[in-house]
Amino acid sequence: MNVPSSEKDDGWVKLVSPDQYSFLVKRSVAMMSGTLKNMLSVDSSFKEALANTCPINERAPVVEKVCEYMAFKAHYEGAGAKEEVPINEFTERIPPEVALELLLTADYLEV
Amino acid sequence: MAATRRSAKPKIRPPRKHESEVSPEETWNRLSRNIREIHNHNAAKLSFEENYRYAYNMVLYKSGSMLYDGVCRLVAENVDRLAEEEIIPAFRSGGSSDPMQQGQEAELLLRALRRVWNFHTGNMLKLRDILKYMDRVYTKSNDVPEIWDAGLDIFLEHIIRAPIQDHIVSAVLILIQIERDGYVINRSAVKECVDVLLDLAVDHNGKTVYKRDVEPAVLTASEAFYKVEAERLVTTCDASEYLRRVEARFESEKSRTHHYLYFQTGPPLRKILEQYLLTQNLSTILNMPNSGLDSMIDVHKVEDINRLYRLSTMVPIGLPTLRRALKDSILRRGKDINQSSVNSDHQEDGEMDGEGAGAGTAQAKGKGKGKARVQGGTPQTLTVALKWVQDVLDLNDKFDRLWKEAFEMNREVEGSFHEAFEDFVNLNEKAPEFISLFIDENLKKGLRGKTDTEVDLVLEKTITVFRYITEKDAFERYYKNHLAKRLLFGRSVSDDAERGMLAKLKIECGYQFTQKLEGMFNDMKISQETMQAYRDYLENTSPPELELSVTVTTSTFWPMSHSASTCVLPELLTRACKSFEHFYLSRHSGRRLTWQPSLGNADVRVQFKSRKHDLNVSTFALVILLLFDNIAGDEFLTYEELKSATLIPEPELQRHLQSLACAKYKILKKHPPGRDIDPSDSFSFNNDFACPMQKIKISTVSVKVESTEERKETRERIDEERQYQTEACIVRIMKDRKRMTHNDLINEVTRQLAMRFQPNPQDIKKRIETLIDREYLERCEDRKSYNYLA
Repeated sequence: MNVPSSEKDDGWVKLVSPDQYSFLVKRSVAMMSGTLKNMLSVDSSFKEALANTCPINERAPVVEKVCEYMAFKAHYEGAGAKEEVPINEFTERIPPEVALELLLTADYLEV
Repeated sequence: MAATRRSAKPKIRPPRKHESEVSPEETWNRLSRNIREIHNHNAAKLSFEENYRYAYNMVLYKSGSMLYDGVCRLVAENVDRLAEEEIIPAFRSGGSSDPMQQGQEAELLLRALRRVWNFHTGNMLKLRDILKYMDRVYTKSNDVPEIWDAGLDIFLEHIIRAPIQDHIVSAVLILIQIERDGYVINRSAVKECVDVLLDLAVDHNGKTVYKRDVEPAVLTASEAFYKVEAERLVTTCDASEYLRRVEARFESEKSRTHHYLYFQTGPPLRKILEQYLLTQNLSTILNMPNSGLDSMIDVHKVEDINRLYRLSTMVPIGLPTLRRALKDSILRRGKDINQSSVNSDHQEDGEMDGEGAGAGTAQAKGKGKGKARVQGGTPQTLTVALKWVQDVLDLNDKFDRLWKEAFEMNREVEGSFHEAFEDFVNLNEKAPEFISLFIDENLKKGLRGKTDTEVDLVLEKTITVFRYITEKDAFERYYKNHLAKRLLFGRSVSDDAERGMLAKLKIECGYQFTQKLEGMFNDMKISQETMQAYRDYLENTSPPELELSVTVTTSTFWPMSHSASTCVLPELLTRACKSFEHFYLSRHSGRRLTWQPSLGNADVRVQFKSRKHDLNVSTFALVILLLFDNIAGDEFLTYEELKSATLIPEPELQRHLQSLACAKYKILKKHPPGRDIDPSDSFSFNNDFACPMQKIKISTVSVKVESTEERKETRERIDEERQYQTEACIVRIMKDRKRMTHNDLINEVTRQLAMRFQPNPQDIKKRIETLIDREYLERCEDRKSYNYLA
């Protein structure tokens, strides 16, 4: 997930944590978050939308986990009723030490 | 359990608080500054995340109401500012009366409103995004509208108010009025404004500002406008022009509602147009002298009539009014035809070139030349009959075309047409006779210049007129007479055409109607066979001096029996008759033969001074001629002598003398000469007769149309026949039902007899009474119904 920040593409969005880590995710993945979606909305065109970059006020491990979850959600969102969503596998991958922070961040980002 | 297991793992860190060190007041100060920046279109310089976090924190730290109220206040301030800057300056100066300038001013105002709306909604979209957390958490629990809806309410409260509201409505009205007056306006300006007003709901039922303020105003203004407009059009335009304008108005209003008003405004607006332009003025338009419905029909303006029809169908009273007008028009035309037929009837004795209708006179003249033998009134009466039918057919054609081209084959209109035709056709009591005569003419002569299909077409059309007659039995009687003459005199040129016509009548009126007519055809066929047999029989015996051809007719089928006029046949003819009687009765015992000399004709060779001629004359004429055979060439026989010698009934005698002495071929000389036969006249054989042709047909002066007395007689016979039919019908019904109330019986009888004629309930009642007298029926005790007595 730690991709060089030099890479620039319309299809990608940069998420920046206060401890100077950058995360490049697909726009469609970022759209999983209501807050990020509004933040990047071209209609409102705030600074973030113009720069295609969103600051997230959490430390890097939390942001990373959020990105992972958003990718996971984007992947399985369109899944049919028959397809089994391996939600347990994902929860097992959450380190307990970030769980509480993750919870608050999820609320903030409306994931 | 989970807690004990996790106790072994690294410690969970408490989540970091989001800048909780800043007080809510300070947060709000920062946020409100940013919101003002957004209102000044500077969103691009702001961080979304920052503002979102401010709002998030305020909601999180129980300052939701401070945030919510503050935002509302800021939005309201901004909207007021916009109104002040954008809308108020665009108010109409009101000084100008130039429509172009008025329109531009109104447009500017509407554009300003739209601009303010755009700013406002743009801002609100951004605020909604930033305040999303507030919408999610705060508004629901505190029972206040989400920020977007609050924004709409603020807009409604601060913009849609006096005086802005009134200015906007009047601007819309001005633009509509300008467009109605024929100028071009900027429709999109109105459209955008209307859309704004449609987005603003004034209550929870979704009633919009447009519905509350604009639509009623538009409708009121339209009503006032069209009230005046209708008045103006009626007084300044003729009917066609009026209809064109009205249609254009409908079109333009439709496109108006479609393009820049709301679709729901369409129906009420249309109602206004219908009310003032159509319902109110339709009959005025229909009856406009020189341009109304009548003159449109006169000049066959299909397009105008079609427009009239289309417009009429829009309003409920339209079609009935139109139908009434059409019916009146047809009735008037029909009565004209009837009237002109009566007029020329009265001219019978007048000059040929009297003041009758142009076409009719010309036709009569043409005929006069071609058939110079016929005289005076009779041909013209015939012409009258033919002309009448032709006129009716033409009229029928005309309206049939209109029905197809202009009335889109509307069944109701067709019904009115039929009613009208039926009414006026039956107003002419000679109609059945005229129609029968018309068919007679076509089956007799018409075939000669025309192809089968043409004749068929004419007859097909005649059937349509025939349908209008209620007295079908009267027609049957005439038709039978005419058919009998055609058959007996061999004038019917084509058997196929005759049978074709019969088939058509059968389709129209059923088997019963044509039964007797078919019997007549059958008799003709049997007679041919009989004659063949008779000729074979004569070969074996001594033939009489003259060749005899007999048609045996069944007296019930043929209409002749009642007018049996006999005469004294000369010895020669009597012998021939006896010979046939002997032959016929030997084949069919128990039958009675009655000779009908009035229906026969004969070929006779006559020696004149110059040469011999073969004359074809009627039997009566032959009897008269044979009398002259016995006297010297220059001797006279007086009218009285002829009468006593032949015993021919007087009218017949006069007719035949007239055709011998006064027509084109003058076989006899009349003393003194003249056109009409007088009982004091005397006659001599015209030895000097000369003619280039060898064979001459002396056709009898025919009485084609009935005279008044004959008509009376026919009438009586028809009435008599109707009595029998009514009785038969009553008995038939009662036999089936056994018991029936008076009214039911009358209705049923009327229904069954309507095929043939329109019975009068009074007459049916009389028939019932005679049937009771004759004990076919009896009255029940309730005095209302009857029993059938077997």
